[in-house]
Amino acid sequence: MTGGMIGGARDAATGYVDRLVRDYSALVVCLIALFLIVFIAGMVTAPNFLTLFNFKTIIRDAALVGIMAVGLTFVTLSGNFFLLSMKETAALCIICFATSMSAGYGFEISFLLTMLIALVAGAAQGALIGLGGNPIVVTLGAAGLLFGLGSWWSDNLVVSFRRPHGAEWLGTGSFLGLPNITIAFILIAVSAELVLRYTKFGRQVYLIGANRAAGRATGHENFPMAIKVCMIASVCSAFVAIAFSAQVSSAHVNYFSSEFGSSGDMTIMVIATVMVGGNSIMGGFGSTLRSSLGAIFISTVDNMMVLHGFNSGPRVLAVGLMIVFSIIVFALVRRGARAQE
Amino acid sequence: MKTLLKLSAINRSFGAIQALKDADFEIGESEVMGLVGENGAGKSTLVKIISGFDDGYSGEFEMDGAAVRFPNPARAERAGISIAQQELSLIPAMSVAENIFLAGDQVPLVATKQVLARRARPYLDEVGLDSVDPSIAVNRLSVGEQQLVEVARLLAREPRVLILDEPTAALGESDSMRILAMVERLAASGKSIIYVSHRLDEIFKISHRITVLRDGMSQKPRAASELNVQSLVESMLGRELRNMFPPRASPARDAPLLEVRGVWPDATVEPFSFSAYPGEILGLAGQLGSGSGDILAAVGGARGIREGRIAFGGRSFMPRSPKEAIEAGIAYCSDDRKLDGLFLGRPIRENLTSPALDRISGFGILRRGVERGLASLNAEKFTVDVSRMRTEAGLLSGGNQQKVALGKWLAIEPKVILVNEPTRGVDVGARAEIYRKLREFADEGKAVVFASTDIQEITGLADRVVTFYRGMQIGEITAESISAAAVLEQITHPFSRSPEAAQA
Repeated sequence: MTGGMIGGARDAATGYVDRLVRDYSALVVCLIALFLIVFIAGMVTAPNFLTLFNFKTIIRDAALVGIMAVGLTFVTLSGNFFLLSMKETAALCIICFATSMSAGYGFEISFLLTMLIALVAGAAQGALIGLGGNPIVVTLGAAGLLFGLGSWWSDNLVVSFRRPHGAEWLGTGSFLGLPNITIAFILIAVSAELVLRYTKFGRQVYLIGANRAAGRATGHENFPMAIKVCMIASVCSAFVAIAFSAQVSSAHVNYFSSEFGSSGDMTIMVIATVMVGGNSIMGGFGSTLRSSLGAIFISTVDNMMVLHGFNSGPRVLAVGLMIVFSIIVFALVRRGARAQE
Repeated sequence: MKTLLKLSAINRSFGAIQALKDADFEIGESEVMGLVGENGAGKSTLVKIISGFDDGYSGEFEMDGAAVRFPNPARAERAGISIAQQELSLIPAMSVAENIFLAGDQVPLVATKQVLARRARPYLDEVGLDSVDPSIAVNRLSVGEQQLVEVARLLAREPRVLILDEPTAALGESDSMRILAMVERLAASGKSIIYVSHRLDEIFKISHRITVLRDGMSQKPRAASELNVQSLVESMLGRELRNMFPPRASPARDAPLLEVRGVWPDATVEPFSFSAYPGEILGLAGQLGSGSGDILAAVGGARGIREGRIAFGGRSFMPRSPKEAIEAGIAYCSDDRKLDGLFLGRPIRENLTSPALDRISGFGILRRGVERGLASLNAEKFTVDVSRMRTEAGLLSGGNQQKVALGKWLAIEPKVILVNEPTRGVDVGARAEIYRKLREFADEGKAVVFASTDIQEITGLADRVVTFYRGMQIGEITAESISAAAVLEQITHPFSRSPEAAQA
């Protein structure tokens, strides 16, 4: 379907253009077109849309989901599907962090303790997946376990800690007018993309994701990979939990279940972000950059709907439509590439 | 002979690539037409057009003298043209009879398994599966038998033209014989058959006429009796093929580089023993299921080993994973490049450096320049187009894919290369290049061990041959006495003695 375009570009002799046209054309054109439509619609219909303040809001709203999506992208790219326990990991971590803060251990200790829990949770899930466990079953089981632990630990109550506390800089602080959470999102997104592109580990993620059997045959085993990517995803979850807790100076296991971020369940939102970005659900194709852009895109649409006074029902519906749309476009793009054989 | 199908001045292009240029093709009634050409010559495209999978062509297409055009495979089938693709489309867990009537047109709405089995019988007889019970599951048959079931299924639709696309590519010698026997029988019963294959000996055995495609252009069909392998290959390549196989070497066999002592891989009957010496190419001959590929996989760390000992360069070495074999300097290239030989969705460059990430990185950071250099170097050695390094490997033709699958192993500078089926589904030109490359590699003082079901390859390439039969190691044939007859006897019926031997 992109044959004609290829013909025109071939003379340019740059394989890069070829690849760009073949792999991205339809997807990029559609996404950019859609983005522009949303953008212009927002501009025309909502007077507050085109303000610097609103842009900052959009990015800030995208930040928490975006950070988790960047982490989850590693899992997806490596061909290990999704972690369905993103939300529950965050739930246990936020309880851990808040409990530790309220006990007066300070930010550093609380942070490390929370990260430790996330690392253990991620490594355990990764090991089971790496040994051949079905990612859905393993992480669904882990989700129940982690949530149960958090719930038990906190007696299902809100854990709060008093301001001023050592985590305020992360939760509500800002630097040069940008909220620190936004800065964290940008830093994490950029470094994740650099890791994927320029490190041996990043290359292994793609290779194993593209063909696990060939990965094994060339000396890249999925077992250590599954552990590593699950740890990355869990750590991103934990970071979001800490940042959110720092923002509201409290914690509850249900903070990530509903009425959080844009709309609804955190795990669903994160998976939606990865998919809207156009990452291959089978692994081996995509990037964390796509997930980051997916997060911003969803956030923009959501922001516009909020400005227009939509309540959560239609907003969830919009996210669902975006997923369906990106899957269709993605499938078309890949088929276009295949048709050239 | 009446002409049944006639295609003339067919053009088909994909972007800037013209797959067919004014190509002509014809086939008569009850004729077997061989269709040959290198990979990328346009065979698949032509076959897709005839069978209705590809409608984007221009040109004349006549059937029985009337112009036709098939926008989809269903229409072609209704007109009486069926195609058996390279990949089987059977459902493994369903019975033979159920698979044959999968489309469900010729059966009553409600049919018991017995009815289906009874109806399937004649088609099975026709393809030579008289001894197969139609009610057993397809996955209990051999690959060759499954291939025949696939054809039986097409026959159930009573086609006039049957297209067989590389039906024997994945088959051993005896299963291939059954396919050839079936083709002859079908042609005798009035069906026209288009036979696409890389195996030239087969083409000669069964074709009445042969059409050669080269770079998308067709040559006039010629009677098989007017041609020989040499002239056919020349018209395929458009140049003279001096010798497909490089000259044999006779290395000094003092100290073995790789010693396999009583190694018993999973899925074989008994343990195997052989040695490979530096500078030689050792061939492991055997049909499908003989265990020759299993032992290679075991030495390469890809398959479990029950017992035994491997010594590599004089030191004991037991790989538990391909990773360990790679680290030791042993490369194992499997027979199924799509399964575990290539990352089809990734660029060629990444494929070529995939086993050697440590060589192209420092402190975990990839060094792009080093990677580009290493990949281009090995691509050039295997004559893979260096300007296409960013193209996905999946977009290459079969021959080029195989070159990349093999070429990537040069990146680790191995001391031993183990190759299972080095040229499966690869055209003549690429085949000669692969043979030359393996020989050069051995000449550098390294060892090549390859397993193959292709007799021509075994007899032409190997300096020494070890033979296998149904999971057992049979014997060894050294350079002077390697012949197709000797190898064939050991891999097809090693235990049936000739009369003289029985008396002795």
